[in-house]
Amino acid sequence: MAIGISGYGVYIPRLRIKKDDYAKAWGSFSAAGVGEKSVMGFDEDVLTAAAKVSRRALESVPTTPDKITRFAIASTTPPYVEKLLSGTVMVSVGIPNQALSSDHITSTRAGTEAMLAGFEHVASNPKGMALVAAADSPLASMWDSLEHALGAGAAAFVLSGDNLIAELEGYSSYASEYFGERFKPRSETLVHDLNVKKFSESSLIKNTTSAGSALLKKLSRKPEEYNHVVIQQPDARVPATVGSRLQFTDLQLAAGLTSKILGDLGAASTPVSLAAALDVAKVGEKIMVISYGSGAGSDALSFKVVSDRKATVKFQTDADRKEYIDYIKYLKLKGAIL
Amino acid sequence: MAHVSVPMYWRTIPQRYKLVGYKCKKCGSVNFPPKGVCKYCNASSEFEEIHLSGRGKVHTFVLISAGGAPPEFADQEKAGGQYPVAIVQLEEGPKVIGQIADADPKEVKIDMPVTTELRRIYTEEGVIRYGFKFVPAGK
Repeated sequence: MAIGISGYGVYIPRLRIKKDDYAKAWGSFSAAGVGEKSVMGFDEDVLTAAAKVSRRALESVPTTPDKITRFAIASTTPPYVEKLLSGTVMVSVGIPNQALSSDHITSTRAGTEAMLAGFEHVASNPKGMALVAAADSPLASMWDSLEHALGAGAAAFVLSGDNLIAELEGYSSYASEYFGERFKPRSETLVHDLNVKKFSESSLIKNTTSAGSALLKKLSRKPEEYNHVVIQQPDARVPATVGSRLQFTDLQLAAGLTSKILGDLGAASTPVSLAAALDVAKVGEKIMVISYGSGAGSDALSFKVVSDRKATVKFQTDADRKEYIDYIKYLKLKGAIL
Repeated sequence: MAHVSVPMYWRTIPQRYKLVGYKCKKCGSVNFPPKGVCKYCNASSEFEEIHLSGRGKVHTFVLISAGGAPPEFADQEKAGGQYPVAIVQLEEGPKVIGQIADADPKEVKIDMPVTTELRRIYTEEGVIRYGFKFVPAGK
């Protein structure tokens, strides 16, 4: 049975800060290729964003929340260190309490982890329907150059075996042991990074290219057969770094390069970028998604677009709706003077 | 701070998270929040639970500025600036009070169409109190 994406939704918070405002405050801006980024309002967090995209994804099918048999949420920035996250979104959206739920929170790979959990559910329950929401607004100290890239956004997908927009063709995964890059010690709420750039880059490349090339091999595909390639975006240069090693071109990366205008969306990076690619993809086109999470691991997923049905609120609509804030207001909203 | 205990807040989750309204079985009016006796006909205590659409129009509003926010909203005002609080007439009838989020306070107008979404209201006893706020419709 073919399974895949039956609906999707995306949400970008309205507030933006420009690279120039960072440059004014610090003398430089350390997120390669990022021109501006999105910021959540004071009364938003990953759960409110997840609730919003979950509703949008259901509307795009269209279907109702009572049909959902599996819910998964992904974020590296849960509002509680211990307490179930799924329940808040399920109750708000109206997903049955009996739906199997899971929270994926330990790395930026969480978005694809949650999607694969949803896909495994519908693969083994032909009548099942999964709703997967990835929302993130990662936090670091303002003293850490890693902080410059951090943006905010969310995307959700309805996964099933029916009424497909994009069919899942296959997936591969790769996990390994690396450390020192993007981690939160037990006592900390902020992301740390030891700034060992070459070592971090070697982890990123090893994991993503291993997952990506394994999937190409599994599906007997050549890189040029993909129309769109979505790669994890800690900044806007990483996709080209990884893509060139897998022989993907800038043209293939263009539709999913959301970090140029939104920054690093953490666990929502590949989900939001996949939604952006789905918005412009034509029937018959193929999309490859490659996530990355420090520590480290990567998932690669391959989709074939089978319907020209699109999200009810497109990525570009939310991306165009914006209000700029300065760096002082940004720090107040983030509570980031630490 | 207007203290709302965790159990008290928990009991209001159907209203705050998903706008459950209470339709009077005698006169058909929708009570929100729930009442012991229908506040419109004063003649029935039998209700049917319905899901309100969240859609409505701004009946009237006020902008809360520095010094005007209740203590539980003071940080929100300090970090985010002025915020609107509105009485919204929902499509199903009831007039409901709530903040308007995701909008420039200067753009809020009487009769403006709004809808609802889940937001953080405030945090007390370390527990984040989520609930609906209004946002401009069709955006």
